[in-house]
This record gives sequence, C-alpha cells and structure tokens, in this order.
Amino acid sequence: MINGPAVLVEGLGKTYPGGVRAVDGISFAVERGEFFGFLGPNGAGKTTTIKILATLLPKTEGRVEVAGLDVIREPKAVRQAIGVALQEVGLDDLSKGRDFLELQGVLYGLSRAEARTRATELLELVGLSSVADRKVGSYSGGMRRRIDLAGALMHNPGVLFLDEPTTGLDPQSRITVWEHLEELNARGVTIFLTTQHMDEADRLCRRLAMIDHGRLVAEGSPAELKAGVGGDIVHVAFDAGESPDEGVAAALAAVRTLPGVRQADIDDNGLIATVGDGGAAAPAIMAAFQDAGLSIANLSITRPSLDDVFLQHTGRQIRDSDADGDAEDRMWSQWMGVNRR
Amino acid sequence: MLVLRESYFIYVRNLKTWLAQPWMIVAAVLSSAFMFLFFGEPLRGITALPGFPADDYQAFLAAMVIVMAVVFSGSDMAMVLLTDMMSGYVDKLLLSPVNRFSILLGTLLIGGTRAMAQVLAIILVATAIGVRFEGGILGILAVIVGATLLGVAMGCVGLIVAMRTRSVQVTVNSWLLFMPLAFLTSAFMPRDLLTGWFQVAVGLNPIEYIMVAVRAVIIDGWVWDSILPGIWILLATTAVLIGAATYEYRRATN
Repeated sequence: MINGPAVLVEGLGKTYPGGVRAVDGISFAVERGEFFGFLGPNGAGKTTTIKILATLLPKTEGRVEVAGLDVIREPKAVRQAIGVALQEVGLDDLSKGRDFLELQGVLYGLSRAEARTRATELLELVGLSSVADRKVGSYSGGMRRRIDLAGALMHNPGVLFLDEPTTGLDPQSRITVWEHLEELNARGVTIFLTTQHMDEADRLCRRLAMIDHGRLVAEGSPAELKAGVGGDIVHVAFDAGESPDEGVAAALAAVRTLPGVRQADIDDNGLIATVGDGGAAAPAIMAAFQDAGLSIANLSITRPSLDDVFLQHTGRQIRDSDADGDAEDRMWSQWMGVNRR
Repeated sequence: MLVLRESYFIYVRNLKTWLAQPWMIVAAVLSSAFMFLFFGEPLRGITALPGFPADDYQAFLAAMVIVMAVVFSGSDMAMVLLTDMMSGYVDKLLLSPVNRFSILLGTLLIGGTRAMAQVLAIILVATAIGVRFEGGILGILAVIVGATLLGVAMGCVGLIVAMRTRSVQVTVNSWLLFMPLAFLTSAFMPRDLLTGWFQVAVGLNPIEYIMVAVRAVIIDGWVWDSILPGIWILLATTAVLIGAATYEYRRATN
C-alpha cells in the first residue's frame, strides 16, 4: 500500500548533456486519489518531469518519490506501481491491438490467462473491442490514445502518468478520453497529467501546477488560481495606425496608471488588462487609446481563465497553436541526426 | 528464469513484427538467389584456373552467399532496433518492470532467427540449382547453427550502431560498415589465388575464417583443419560482440 503522497518531488532539477536546463528546482506533491495537472507551454519542462517521475530519465538533482518509492533506488518497484502513456512513446504499429495489450500485461507480471481477460475488459472499457484484431498502425489518432491508455492500465496501477493525452485529437475524441480519465479517477486511480490545453486542465484537474521555463509559477485548484487573478480581464483589439510603437507604448503606459488596473500587457492580439471591475474600467481604457491616436476594433470583458492566470504569472500566454509543430520538428530533426540531444 | 520468460515474450513480439512484413522475407530470399544468378553464372569459368579448389563454382560461391547474407543482416537489425526506438516502443518496454537484459536478449534472438531462416532458404535455393553439401545433413545443420550464432553477433554490431548514432541516415547506410567484412574475404576466389594487399587484408578479417569453414563443409566435407579456426573465431567474435552490445545497451538505457 502506498504511504504518504502518490508523488513527492523536492528540489527536482534536470540539466541535459550540453547544458540545457529543462527543469529548474521544482517541488510539489500529489495526494493519493488526486487528479493533478501539470500545465505549461511546449518546452516548459513538462515531458522531462514526467519522464523522470516514470523512471525513464535520470534526474540531475533533487528527491523524487512515486507511490512511496524512491525512483532511483527502486525503479523496478516504481514501474510496477505506475501506468504510463507518454506523448512520443510508442505504440507497436505492426501488432494487433489485443496482442499489444496482452504483451503489456505479461511484461507487468500477469499470467497469460490474466492478460487475456484483462485485455478484453479494457478493450471494452475504451471502446475498441470491434477493432481489437486490427493492427495498431491502422488506428486513428483517438483510437491510438485509447489503446495506449488501455496498455497503461493492464496491471491495475494506482498511479497513472499521462503526457498530453489529448494533444492532436479532434474535439469528439478528446471528450471521449476525458470521460475515461474521469471514470478512472472516480475509481480511485491517482492521475498525473500534463497538458498545454487550458480547457482540459480546467475541466479535469482538481489541482494543478503551472510550469514555465522549468519552474513552477503557480499551484492550486483551477478555481483558486482564477480567483487569484482578482478581477476581470479586458481585451482590446486595436488598429495600430501610422506610428505603431510609440502610440502603443503610450496607450499601454496610460492604461497601467488607471485606477483599478492591476496588470496590462500587449501581445499579438492586442492589449490584455486585469482590472478590478471590467465595466467600470472600460471607458477609461478606451479614452487612453483614443488619446494615443489608436482606434479600437474590439473590446471585450471576460471572467479570468487559466490562460489569464498563466499570463499574470509569466507575462505570456500559452500558445496551443504552434506547439504541435514544434514537437514534430524536434522529433524529426532528432532522428535525422541533425539535432541529437 | 524471469529473464527467460520476459525474453520469450519480447522475442515472440519481434518474431510477429518480422513475419508481419513478408516483403522483408521475400527480398532476403530473392537477394540470395540473385547472388547465385548474377555472380555464379558469369564467373562459372573460374573453376578452370589452376589450383581452384572446386569443380562447381556455385558450390564454391554458396559459402559466400550464406555468410554475406548473415553479415548484412546486422544492418537490418540496426534498422529494426532504430524503428522501435523512433516509434518509442523501446521506451515503452523500458517503462515496464522487465529486466533490461530481457529486452536485449529478445532482440538478439530475433537476429539469430532471421539469419537462421535466411540461411535455410539459401540452402534450399543452392540445393535446387544442384549444389551438393559434402558435409551431409550434419554439415547443413552445422552451417545453420553457425549462421544463427553469426546472426546474433552481427545483430550486436547493428544494435551498437543504432544505439550509438540514433540516426536514420547513419543506420540506413550501416551496410557500408558490413561491406568490408563481407567482401574482404575469399568470397569469389580462394585466398591462395588472391594477391598483394587484398590477400593480407583478407587474412586479417575474422569473417574470412568463418567463410572458409562453411565452404569446407560444403565442398570438402569435414576437413577439421579448415573448420576449427572458423568455429573458434565465430565463438570468440560472438562472445565479444554480445559483451560489447550489453555494455552499450546498459550505457544507453541508464
């Protein structure tokens, strides 16, 4: 039985050969039965962290315990206690779905008969019974994630590590995966999930940590984090006109001095300001833009999202759009021998 | 015992992966048949050279076809492993609580199996075109066992290439590494009839002694003076390469 938290991380650091500092002294704990999210942009250190927790990658410093076991001293026991589905980690395309699961089962110590029974159960659970005898290589993206998830569950692990389980999936498949995860968590499985999708973290995670440049920038329940932003978010899209830089800088400076404005930044989409009361602040913000010679195309007031929480702590937004492309480029160049780590 | 159980399951998976790609097998058999056709036919007249040890050039060539097929299978094994590394399947295995050595063993055994199957196919082709095995059935069995061991050894070289470079462009071209091993031999001509630096280089190539032993079994029968050096060198090479692959594997997975 697990004593203490399901995951305990203290002062974890990872420097890759060549000097890249991927994880820079993070500490957190995940309680048993919790649904914990690790949220951050691509390259923030999420995958590195999950690989260290799952014993696939050695750490540079710090202490890591999973299921009450030290990952360095007892890697085998840790592996037996956890289930893992990583983003870039590997399905066996030439194997049939059922064979893939049965092999996972016997490698985790199940007997062949047990593995067969369990595979049938899990194929049913993830809705892949009808394609069980087809090769994994013929599966769609959503089916691949589900067979991978089923593989991670073959030995009934108490802790599940999932690296971006829905990245690249269509909306319907994402919801299906989410429902499976919620059901597992309801049955008592501790889930540690990384994601770069705010909506995913918001819906699934009871608690989450935000990571950026290898450091934790915020931690708490989604509601707590959003409340921490403390007010409304005003987005202003504007037409920069003739002299963009000066006008924009002047408007930003003016907005920052307005009463009730806690934070204001400019990004590609325009200005984003955190204010106590959106309705009260909007007229003054519009005036500031007019004074700077900028015409406003659109102004909206929203309740804070997790995106705004991230913005508040890092001054940047998490960009979903270009993240997948980066990951693919990285993998491609790595395997072509261009950019070896 | 646990290692054997785990290796067995990983081996069966590797076997299924191989059998799921029938063109790999067809190509392997065809390439060997082509060797007899494209080298054996035009060079047929070599047997008339004074001092040439065989009457049937195809019989002389058979040892080369067998040994070369197995030597180049090392390059295939490099690609097999790299494919599993690229797809992340190796990591998937490493995430499981199996012994690291089981994964290596399950992979090396498939190298041996592939070599064994290919050599069996070559022997059938050779027999079909009239090559007689002087060593008899026992000789054929001995050649198959030897080829299996050599397949494991060359698989080790392939694994080292894949793990060291982790690169498609290097691994795809790793047959270049095996080329001198296969061709700096008495492949087409007995060593006595070779000359100059080539003859010296052939004498330094361990694969040459294995080829000589295989050829002895085929064209002369059980001539131990020719066979024993090949056996010792095969055993030593296999042992050294398994050691090297194990070391490299530990290094890459820790």
